[in-house]
Amino acid sequence: MIPGKYRSVSGRATNNVNCGLHLVIQTSSLPEKNKVEFKLHKETPSFPGRLLQHDLERNYSSRQGDGRVISPSPRNKSSCISSTTNVTELCGLEMKTTTSSLSAFGDSSIQTPSKSRIRQGCHSAGPNVSGDHINLVSSSMPSFPILQRSSEEKILYSDRLTLERQKLTVCPIIDGEEHLRLLNFQHNFITRIQNISNLQRLIFLDLYDNQIEEISGLSTLRSLRVLLLGKNRIKKISNLENLKSLDVLDLHGNQISKIENVSHLCDLRVLNLARNLLSHVDNLNGLDSLTELNLRHNQITFVRDVDNLPCLQRLFLSFNNISTFESVCCLADSTSLSDITFDGNPIAQESWYKHTILQNMMQLRQLDMKRITEEERRMASVIAKKEEEKKRESQKQSLLKEKKRLTINNVARKWDLQQHRVTSIAANQDRKDSDSPSQDPCQVDGSTISAFPEETGSLDSALSNALQGLSVTDTHLVEVDGDTLSLYGSGALESLDRNWSVQTAGMVTTVSFTFIEFDEIVQVLPKLKIKFPNSLHLKFKETNLVMLQQFNALAQLRRIDQLTIDPQGNPVVSFTLWKYYVLFRLSHFSMQKINGTEVTQNDMIMAERLFGILAHVASSELPQYRLISILGDARKKQFRYLLETKGKKPGVVSEENNDSKRLVGENTNRATLNYTTRDFYNEKLEEIKEKKKFCKMYIEDLVKEATEINMKNEALQKLWPQMFIELVRDAVIEIRNKSSYMKLCLQQITDQK
Amino acid sequence: MLSPERLALTDYEYLAQRHVLTYMEDAVCQLLENKEDISQYGIARFFTEYFNSVCQGTHILFREFSFIQATPHNRASFLRAFWRCFRTVGKNGDLLTMKEYHCLLQLLCPDFPLELTQKAARIVLMDDAMDCLMSFSDFLFAFQIQFYYSEFLESVAAIYQDLLSGKNPNTVIVPTSSSGQHRQRPALGEASMLEGVEASLFYQCLENLCDRHKYSCPPPALVKEVLSNVQRLTFYGFLVALSKHHGINQALGALPDKGDLMHDPAMDEELERLVVRSRLHRTSRQHRAQEPGTFGFHRRDKLEAPERVPSASAPTPSPYRWEPRESCLVSATPLGPYLLHELHPRPQKGLKS
Repeated sequence: MIPGKYRSVSGRATNNVNCGLHLVIQTSSLPEKNKVEFKLHKETPSFPGRLLQHDLERNYSSRQGDGRVISPSPRNKSSCISSTTNVTELCGLEMKTTTSSLSAFGDSSIQTPSKSRIRQGCHSAGPNVSGDHINLVSSSMPSFPILQRSSEEKILYSDRLTLERQKLTVCPIIDGEEHLRLLNFQHNFITRIQNISNLQRLIFLDLYDNQIEEISGLSTLRSLRVLLLGKNRIKKISNLENLKSLDVLDLHGNQISKIENVSHLCDLRVLNLARNLLSHVDNLNGLDSLTELNLRHNQITFVRDVDNLPCLQRLFLSFNNISTFESVCCLADSTSLSDITFDGNPIAQESWYKHTILQNMMQLRQLDMKRITEEERRMASVIAKKEEEKKRESQKQSLLKEKKRLTINNVARKWDLQQHRVTSIAANQDRKDSDSPSQDPCQVDGSTISAFPEETGSLDSALSNALQGLSVTDTHLVEVDGDTLSLYGSGALESLDRNWSVQTAGMVTTVSFTFIEFDEIVQVLPKLKIKFPNSLHLKFKETNLVMLQQFNALAQLRRIDQLTIDPQGNPVVSFTLWKYYVLFRLSHFSMQKINGTEVTQNDMIMAERLFGILAHVASSELPQYRLISILGDARKKQFRYLLETKGKKPGVVSEENNDSKRLVGENTNRATLNYTTRDFYNEKLEEIKEKKKFCKMYIEDLVKEATEINMKNEALQKLWPQMFIELVRDAVIEIRNKSSYMKLCLQQITDQK
Repeated sequence: MLSPERLALTDYEYLAQRHVLTYMEDAVCQLLENKEDISQYGIARFFTEYFNSVCQGTHILFREFSFIQATPHNRASFLRAFWRCFRTVGKNGDLLTMKEYHCLLQLLCPDFPLELTQKAARIVLMDDAMDCLMSFSDFLFAFQIQFYYSEFLESVAAIYQDLLSGKNPNTVIVPTSSSGQHRQRPALGEASMLEGVEASLFYQCLENLCDRHKYSCPPPALVKEVLSNVQRLTFYGFLVALSKHHGINQALGALPDKGDLMHDPAMDEELERLVVRSRLHRTSRQHRAQEPGTFGFHRRDKLEAPERVPSASAPTPSPYRWEPRESCLVSATPLGPYLLHELHPRPQKGLKS
């Protein structure tokens, strides 16, 4: 913001500080016409530059001079000119002014060459002069001075009157000047606009730098086009109802806090409300011709209605309190706006300021007094595109996040329902099993049932709105975030069947399970082992870990360094021994951390001390056939190996072998402690039942047969002695007569031959 | 060999009564289940092993509950196995909840029913203090009674109820399978006056029951001893007395006396060996993972221990070693005061005296 910059922009490095003129109205010094001629110097390009220069210097060096309206761009010249020409045409005056004539109203330092003379006239028109006319008005308003010019002066400046710096405290009664078109009361102490209602042809009224507190006394001035009330004490815009053809309204440097009562000013082109107390901009409807609006040095935080101004080209919002683009976003909808300033606002400090403005206001030609180049515009659009992308990305992210949240909620709800169902079934069973009077069945029933609809109801109402557009049927969620694979809901386990890229699979070192039955997890552990060989950290939350033996299932994994079991939904964590059991059962992993706590050597030894015997008993006292069946095929090899070394004493084997064998041995003696999921176990029990039935029948048959044989045998045993005696007796009787017996024998022999 | 009892029954009945059939069935069942493996090393070998393990009481390890409770021998074996495997937990002085004990039971028998554990805990704890912690020995002896005499106790409960309600207890008793019925306490006003039932009458009924009962029941003489000490008693009072009675424990034969409950030198020795081995295993692993330079010193330290152990059955001066004597435990652990109670009757919240 160095003036030099603007100098170069303006193209004119005139450093004319002394030039207080913004509007130079020169009389054409054609007395015969009896007119003030506003000459319009269309062909003076040096003027805007110089004026701009001056204006800027005042603005930026001293941060003052706000009354100045700035229209520095040569591009704006045409519109400016056209409007000014309008004035001149309408007034029938030739306005000798710069292209930036409008800026003059800000400063209101209109000077005419006839100033000195008029000042003289004023002097003569002062309260102490022209006492002869006092009589005329003294009866009605005795305190007002009456002004009368000399006829010569009247002829010379018939349509203008300048009463500048006359220390006037009231408006004098101006008599006989009905044709007056321009009236200047600059730099007086007037507190009230009075005594000018008779000047009905007045076009230009300048009351800059007075002490006026209320706009009044203007209702008859229907042809007034320029009203300059800068640097007064006006608190409220009012009483402008009849000034329908007002073209320029300058209210800078007052105490106005609200824009109001201006909607009828459909011809107003310039409105200056700089240095007021405005906190926001609205109520701008109806100002259909407004091309320039100066709102510098207010406390504006937001701007509205600007898109309803069809002709607005220049808007000055410098030095306000605008901090977001959203608060001025209506500007983007204005099609006519070409020049805007935001400097001195918090928004201008933002990194996104420039390109956001440029991107959103394509119609803009100039921003903060600087012409917008194609390059800048291109840059802005590139940045904006990027921003847009970023935004879309973040939106997508947040959408995903939201979706994730909802899905997790959904899964959680499902899980809760499931758990409730399980517990209520359990409760029911319990009730059925035990018809105990002490256990109040109604209470149990009631509590579970009442908990149901309440919960689902509240969740439903909370979710139903947000869930629109998101599928409610999401019952699971799979998320890979860095090295963490998170699975929510049992359906997520199916994702392990998916083809994971080698990279992803290799990267995942943490797998977290939430809202999944542990039994279901157990079934996918082999898959997990294959798909994510690097998973070292397992997390379980809401997985229904209730028994120590469930940890056995984890032993089949390749490696676990860390285990995190969230107490939520895992009652096993409340047990005193669970950590030791995990350490004991998974000792072959040499785990580093359990639930975030470092595992110490002492922990390991404690675990061994607590459960070592269990492993020992399990491995050494089980009959072989049981060991084999428990270990299963995969472990058989190891087991054989164990068997081979079992007999030998540890000392016999050499050190290295010993170590590796011990490793195997350790694995095996724990391997007997395994976990089969409940469903599978029940299936197995069914199977066993079937087998048992068969065995029972088989054994029954066998035993019956055996007992029958035994009975027969016993009966035979009982009969046998008697039978033997009978046999012997028969034989003895037969051979008692030896000779006859011999004869009989011989007979038999001969018969046979 | 030929007892008169034997002659009274048919062969089949005898075998069934002596549970021989059960084991035969189970053996065949096991054979069927593992026929591929078993055929490799011989069916005769299998039967030898099977019946050996039945004799040793190791046949019940990791078996299904229906088998474990099938015979008194199985039950006693299970009790013994539980004691042997988790004696260390008790020795460590940890007090556990019913649920945690149940978990330990499930480590040996995956489908062990919670109901039974609950009932055992009810003997130790008051009804309203079921979440309280129990000592290992309290739980174990209560569990022994509940598990071993489970059917008998059902009948006793029924008898007790009948006595309470004034019915003639010698009517036919049908043990119900309901669990909660016997938990009913006498109506309040009456209870304050005369809680429980008269001991002598109760004993008559129980004696009657023992005669008829086809399941195992405690020796009537011991029941008489228990009941003769008091005038009146409640059902749970009876159970507590049963569980604390040394004679019944001895008659059952599964567990050592209360004083020797933590004493199992053979296993302790084995455990010491295991601990040392696990330490070696861990250190060697660590060693493999770490640079030898950084860990050399520690490792050396730890490697020395196992070398001494196999040769010496004498106690090693390991800082982690447990002292086998309870008296030492008392002074050595922060749970000392509690363990002192082990030896003396103690008033503890939720515990029945």
